[in-house]
Amino acid sequence: MKTLKPYLKYLSDAQIEEINEGSMSLLENTGIMVDHQEGLEFLEKHGAKVDYQTKRARIPRKLVTRALETVPDRFTLAARNPEKDCPLIPGGRPYSRNGGGADFTIDLETGEFRPLLHADVKEYYKLMDALEGISFIAPVFGQDMPVIGRDILMLREAFGNTDKPIHLRAFTGESLKLMFEMAAIVAGGKKELKERPIVSLLEAPISPLKFLDVTVDALWLCGEYGIPLDVCVMPIAGGTGPMTMAGNLQLLNTEFLAGVVISQLANPGAPLQYAARPMAMDMRTGFSMAGSVELGMMASAGAQMARFYNVPVSLHGPWSDSMSHDGQSILERTYMNTMAALSGANVLVGAGMMQQSLVISQEQLVIDDEINRIAFRAVEGFEINEEHLAAEVIDRVGPGGNFVADMHTYKFLRSERFETKLLYHNSRESWEEGGSTTLVDRAKEKALIIIKEHQPNPLPEDLGKELDEFVSKALKSLEK
Amino acid sequence: MSNNFEQMQKDLYDGKFSEVEAATKTALDEGMGAQDILNNGLVAGMEIVGRDFKSGELFIPEVLMCARAMHAGLEVLRPLLAESGAASMGKIILGTVTGDLHDIGKNLVSMMLQGAGFDIVDLGTDVKPEQFVAAVRDEGADIIGMSAMLTTTMPSMKSTITALKEAGIRDKVKVIIGGAPVTSKFAEEIGADRYAPDAGAAVDTVRELLV
Ligand code: B1M
Repeated sequence: MKTLKPYLKYLSDAQIEEINEGSMSLLENTGIMVDHQEGLEFLEKHGAKVDYQTKRARIPRKLVTRALETVPDRFTLAARNPEKDCPLIPGGRPYSRNGGGADFTIDLETGEFRPLLHADVKEYYKLMDALEGISFIAPVFGQDMPVIGRDILMLREAFGNTDKPIHLRAFTGESLKLMFEMAAIVAGGKKELKERPIVSLLEAPISPLKFLDVTVDALWLCGEYGIPLDVCVMPIAGGTGPMTMAGNLQLLNTEFLAGVVISQLANPGAPLQYAARPMAMDMRTGFSMAGSVELGMMASAGAQMARFYNVPVSLHGPWSDSMSHDGQSILERTYMNTMAALSGANVLVGAGMMQQSLVISQEQLVIDDEINRIAFRAVEGFEINEEHLAAEVIDRVGPGGNFVADMHTYKFLRSERFETKLLYHNSRESWEEGGSTTLVDRAKEKALIIIKEHQPNPLPEDLGKELDEFVSKALKSLEK
Repeated sequence: MSNNFEQMQKDLYDGKFSEVEAATKTALDEGMGAQDILNNGLVAGMEIVGRDFKSGELFIPEVLMCARAMHAGLEVLRPLLAESGAASMGKIILGTVTGDLHDIGKNLVSMMLQGAGFDIVDLGTDVKPEQFVAAVRDEGADIIGMSAMLTTTMPSMKSTITALKEAGIRDKVKVIIGGAPVTSKFAEEIGADRYAPDAGAAVDTVRELLV
């Protein structure tokens, strides 16, 4: 039998109840602002008290409870290649994705900070396709790509360069629908897409307690197409959320429940994740921080709330404010990711990303691949049974002996340990012989090799053609 | 008298707004001039606050509390200052540029500038170049501050500057820009007057431009 899931717990059962109660009464009394006429009418029809002047909807507890009843406790982020599916199950193993939306990079060859370009985008997808510790892929954007339809073009690149699940970013409601249509083409139809959603989406209400029209539209469109949705709640403690950790958590949980209501009442059973992404304002500058130990603590408590509601949870994992893939970056990422994984996150988000989510780097992706796989290993626990406890072996070797040449060692040699190629554990002599490389040097070398050699599984030619035709029509329709 | 100012500055630093308000009234009763109280009490107090904010000793919410105390005093002085025409330190139009809905940074800049005593006209988010131009005309502002958080919306900062030129009022206002992807190099390229990396720097920049 495996060891227990080593889940961190900050909240007692009573505290979880208290936060849940607090959210219920905030939704009922304070309510949310919904900048969407139809959305307000929809909520009113279901029993919310709506003030159309202030666009405020006050949501009674029984509505929330009903919405919670239909949220699925598990679903799969499907991949074009089913071997790369990511089933998200409470208590299941974590998966990970890169941070999305960056359009600056640190040049792999020169180390210079510069805009990300279309040519880089292909390399990024290739690299992430090859890295095992990056389970699915979010877009990065080329600044030289046309502004209108950039999201659609990036999805086209993604389909061509990876067979992992793809996470979307849409600039408009119109392009979102077009992207779902593209996904349907690749999946083999709208019905097939619903059965095996090969794309997923993130949508965020505006803290505190405000839902934009585009957000409501996206929540509903996801439901209609059966696309898994991250209900991404990200109040910035001390800015758009209370300064206290408990208060920020209270707000975050309330916003999540509001998202559940809007999603589930329209499309019962629509797959969604509790994306608890608490942030904190740096009170000296106003910037919103990515790395800070309190973020890890709040997110961990958020994961407990997700388990209470029985929904998969996505947390910031390898995450940092650093300007480059330096020591700060690795320090912040490692503790953020470890805390998130040990909190039971189904998805660890952030690989590669730094500087207020503006910048992504290839070296960082390679390092984060390692950080992620270490985290996967940490939550996996270890086997405990007679053979693994090895009393018989200890007896056989006896006091003063050693285990190196024992059959037991030989048997478990390769199954017990995480194998690293990036971290160095050898002698100084051979380190010097190998060029005295740092972790970042080795990550760079690995990235260069992958980009040169890795061949992603291509889209079948006819599908590629069909997509291209669709994309050129889509771009024309957007330009109008 | 300098003693009183010292106490006023200390209360201001501690965010004690009713004390600052009372001290301002007392100073007036004792026959001091409004401009004198403003310069040597309130503004001097905020300078200390600004210095400690810059050195990292004070946090933004503390600065905003100090500002609230400063305003409590300023409100007492305002009618008197208005008579002498010295009521406003400057008027700034702020907005997040067209296509962009991020407003947290812009709001922070607005709060800090108001705290420093400037008048703010906040045009909100998704502000088009012609709206900035119209606001300059209608409000007679000294400075336009534009915020952009998306690489894709940054170009519209340039459009605003072009629109100001076309309207023949570019030389009437200074233009400051900011936001996470924005840089000083970009500011130079598009012909903005200044770039400010954060809300504190925005206050300093405005001060420098208006002096
Ligand atoms: C006039 O003079 C000045 C002077 C200084 C000025 C100034 C003006 N303005 C700002 N400053 C400066 O002072 C402040 C510090 O004192 C600083 O202000 P900031 O605004 O930088 O900092 C704030 C105080 C705190 N920071 C923030 O408020 C931004 C935080 C992040 C997480 C963020 C948020 C919160 C949001 N987002 Co958006 N968002 C991200 C951000 C990533 C990150 N971690 O930073 C960013 C900016 N977003 C991004 C994106 C892509 C998007 N967002 C979108 C939406 C949103 C929300 C609505 C959900 C929300 C905004 C809520 C709101 N009320 O503003 C979408 C666009 C919507 C739109 N049309 O605008 C969408 C397109 C997402 C999508 N749907 O796919 C990315 C931009 C990438 C790029 N390079 O272009 C992004 C970096 C995250 C990412 N990687 O995806 C300085 O820049």
